[in-house]
Amino acid sequence: MKSLSFYIHNLYQNQQWLDFILYLGLGLILTLSLMSVVALVLVYAERKIAAHFQCRLGPMRVGWHGTLQTVADALKLLLKEDLIPKAADRFLFALAPFLTVMAALLSLSVLPFSLSATLSNMNIGLLFLSAISGYGVLGILIGGWASNNKWSLLGAMRAGAQLISYELSMTLSLLSIVVLSGSLNLNEIIASQAQGWWIWRAHLVGFISFVIYIISSTAETNRTPFDMAEGESELTAGFHTEYSGMRFAFFFLSEYVNLFIVSAIGSILFLGGWMPLHIGEWESFNALMDFVPGPIWFLLKTGALIFLSMWFRWTFPRLRVDQLMRFEWKFLLPLGLINLFLSSIIALGGFYFFP
Amino acid sequence: MNQESNMSANSKTDQSASALAQVPIENAKRWPDLNYFNKIIYGASSLAKGMKITFGYLINTKTVVTQQYPENRETLILADRVRANLIMKHNENGYHDCTSCHICEGVCPNASIHVVDRSEPTVSKKELGYFVWRLDSCTFCNLCVMACPFSCLEMTGQFESSTYDQSLLVYNLNQYSGATQNNLAKLADDQARTSAIKAISPYEGPVALEGYHLAGIPKEFLPQKSDAKTSQAREGVNP
Repeated sequence: MKSLSFYIHNLYQNQQWLDFILYLGLGLILTLSLMSVVALVLVYAERKIAAHFQCRLGPMRVGWHGTLQTVADALKLLLKEDLIPKAADRFLFALAPFLTVMAALLSLSVLPFSLSATLSNMNIGLLFLSAISGYGVLGILIGGWASNNKWSLLGAMRAGAQLISYELSMTLSLLSIVVLSGSLNLNEIIASQAQGWWIWRAHLVGFISFVIYIISSTAETNRTPFDMAEGESELTAGFHTEYSGMRFAFFFLSEYVNLFIVSAIGSILFLGGWMPLHIGEWESFNALMDFVPGPIWFLLKTGALIFLSMWFRWTFPRLRVDQLMRFEWKFLLPLGLINLFLSSIIALGGFYFFP
Repeated sequence: MNQESNMSANSKTDQSASALAQVPIENAKRWPDLNYFNKIIYGASSLAKGMKITFGYLINTKTVVTQQYPENRETLILADRVRANLIMKHNENGYHDCTSCHICEGVCPNASIHVVDRSEPTVSKKELGYFVWRLDSCTFCNLCVMACPFSCLEMTGQFESSTYDQSLLVYNLNQYSGATQNNLAKLADDQARTSAIKAISPYEGPVALEGYHLAGIPKEFLPQKSDAKTSQAREGVNP
């Protein structure tokens, strides 16, 4: 099937401007609606799962078992008064939520949901994703600064420091998969896992980089054990203390979309993305698995990683700021470097299973 | 109790130190003395243990403790320690044990209890007229229940007491003005007992609305103009 990005590539030669604009508009609408649906579903899932982890029931009143609760919350946030503090920097204060949402939107546009359902099939997709995920914290930093509030500023600075630290080991763990698969294109990385997923195919190296990725992506999305940026117990609400109404909703939305994105990247790199589960020589089993369409596999794997992230959040105790930094610089980063070295050896020698 | 233990602390120092030494060290939960790599394994395994526990909570719906209150009003389970509306206990014939001794009134820290003696007692020398309890100023500290020498007060689990009018939060807890059940038992028959007491409703008598007179405020601080009901209540009406 002809790739969608190939379509864009030929636009200039064929002079199909109307089609190009239509394509852009459709892509934007699809991505935006995907974003809001993902956020709504994830907020509901998080509240329900968190409740049952804590022996509670969670939302039960709005709709069947509270299924419409997040819709009601979103409506409430839309209608709420939008306050801007008197001493805040008005322009930056208004800009910050949009930057954060835009980062999430840009990341969603390169995710391959199946072989053909990719909005933009870049050949440097993974590089683009890691660049954009670094850009997302800019909104948090600007928002914290523009609020003119000490809590917000402290939260924003913590978020910045945390991102700079954990981006390193996250990129190292991504690099070891790039070394093994030999490509930065997300679809090609998935195609390289046709024989088996990288998490178990590369002699423990893949598993270690998966663990590093999970830890650093939790830190990247500012979720509890690593929620230094919000720090409810010490910083009220961290960088979004002064935000209310729709601007707060944007921060909230991008938080959950980011959770979806990091889990999607994890499933693409380590669990084979839209690739169905194949077990060695079992021909009939593999044929059965091939019947399940690619997007379903992708969403299943992403959902499993999201559940893992929620499980972490509601089980683990929080870290202190100094413990957070020590963990990254003294443990995760050296481990990531050694892991990258080992993965290079495995890739050069072709030692991985099913070469 | 505390003073005693403090006074005897000096003489018992040696004994308690030796008693501490006898506590087996295995029972004390502490971070084990491990090297770097074993610490990592220990930490990871303890995290895994925590995840196992929370996953057990997730899949086992029996662990849910949430009670969905308005829906399950009929089957609501409250703990024994719940303290809500105060009641005066009445036996199966509707007689109470209160001798109007005013101890509960004295111990109440925020003057929520006001006991009015019956002005013309019929059976014994002193009889309870009205037992006025102000829910709106009560902190449910349970002191009155503990102080009552005849155990005739009780904190129930009945917590649905919201009203649209604050004056409805002041009740008479006793169902009749009159003597205790023991003294009434000395009377000849039910006929005599019924004539010796006077049934009252929860909102009858000196049920205060403003509450100045209940709070123990001296008379000179009270407002000069007072309606008939308040002044009547201040004097104590004849039940």
